[in-house]
Amino acid sequence: MGVLTGRVVDSSGNPVANATVTVTSVDNGQARSATTGTDGSYRFDDLPLGNYRMKLEAAGFQTLEILSATVDGTKPVVVDEKLQASAPTTTKPNLEQQDNLPNAPSSSTAPSLSDLGLTTEQTQGNPREQALLDKRTHMLKIHQRMGLITTIPLIATVVTSLNAGGKSEGTASRDLHVALGAVTGDLYGITAYYAIRAPRIPGTKKRGPIKFHEAMAWIHGPGMILTPILGAMAFSQKNNGEKVHGIAQAHGPVAIVTAGAFGAALLSVSVKF
Amino acid sequence: MNKKILIAFLLVTLPTFAADSQWVLKQSTLTYHVSHPLHESEGVSHAARGKGVCHNGQCDFLIAVTVKSFDSGDSNRDLHMVQVTRGAEFPIVTVRTRLPESAASSATINADLEIQFAGQTAQYKKVPFKVETQGGETHITGTIPATLTDFKIDPPSLLTMPVKNEIPVRVDMTWRSQ
Repeated sequence: MGVLTGRVVDSSGNPVANATVTVTSVDNGQARSATTGTDGSYRFDDLPLGNYRMKLEAAGFQTLEILSATVDGTKPVVVDEKLQASAPTTTKPNLEQQDNLPNAPSSSTAPSLSDLGLTTEQTQGNPREQALLDKRTHMLKIHQRMGLITTIPLIATVVTSLNAGGKSEGTASRDLHVALGAVTGDLYGITAYYAIRAPRIPGTKKRGPIKFHEAMAWIHGPGMILTPILGAMAFSQKNNGEKVHGIAQAHGPVAIVTAGAFGAALLSVSVKF
Repeated sequence: MNKKILIAFLLVTLPTFAADSQWVLKQSTLTYHVSHPLHESEGVSHAARGKGVCHNGQCDFLIAVTVKSFDSGDSNRDLHMVQVTRGAEFPIVTVRTRLPESAASSATINADLEIQFAGQTAQYKKVPFKVETQGGETHITGTIPATLTDFKIDPPSLLTMPVKNEIPVRVDMTWRSQ
């Protein structure tokens, strides 16, 4: 297998985006196509070795055919090409006219994107925005995985709370509950960090379950701060042989609400209801 | 006699070389369907633009729609969809097909489609569409059997479970001849 790559530019050396590059195997006639990115580059990976015919097409440019490009597998084959602008036609309206008149009939030839009245802003790629989206998805994937991992010690913390608040003199169950709570808090912090730091995409209006998911964060976020503070107070009172009293009594209820909100947030983006 | 033959020939052949006609997409609903073990979701776009140009009995159609115009009712999912399909880098999905002019009067058509999406081109042969013509408008419905691998898209996952490879796209379009 080999790689065939290159860059398509216009006569001035500017990259030609959205050009279609088609490679056809001379040996078996199999064809593959790719579209150039905003920098005019294209790439075919895993091409069977052999000779290929190439065809480069782009709206507003003359089609270019290359009769032979050999992929030998030793190193990537680089085919950089320059496209010449098409000769202007008298029947085709100019871009300004098309912008004012979407879908307007233009010529008897096959229609092009400009015939549909699409603006340059709509048709041109934005690599910066794509990079932002990639980063956002990457961070939210970690957020999602960390959220799932956090669920395990969270459930264990809730389960061990049943013994931690009892009347027994021993502190082992309380210590275990505290240790699990600490792990949960740390993992929760990492989970929250990846959600908070994930880049926002300008112009996006939030719709759907994500709104509920974020609303729940306003409950479990403060709850995750308050719960260990109240827990530390309750722990201290217990260790002093006192009955848990005062505001520390809220540790349990706050923890339950926090865990419930966390679970609801998780379910809201996982299961349709 | 020769003149009569010539006139008869012209009368017979004239319709073939008649003035070009064109088709314009008036309304459209494109719906992609994604299956995940935990739930199903759909994204809908009404923003497609299309045009068909007929010449010598053959019509070349181009339909284009922006990736961002698909709405699944969940902004988070839509942004993820745009990311995995590289919709910011390749913002337009285009569908090209060539059909005989007579297709508008058929009950069904089998179209060969060339779809550019996510920086890739995929061809679908003989995709069946139902055709209904009424009052100068032609209504076309069908489903394009698209898959993620056709466009080299990594299947997005939720809770570490990936979506199915099949992403059928339901097409519902109304065209008007000009």
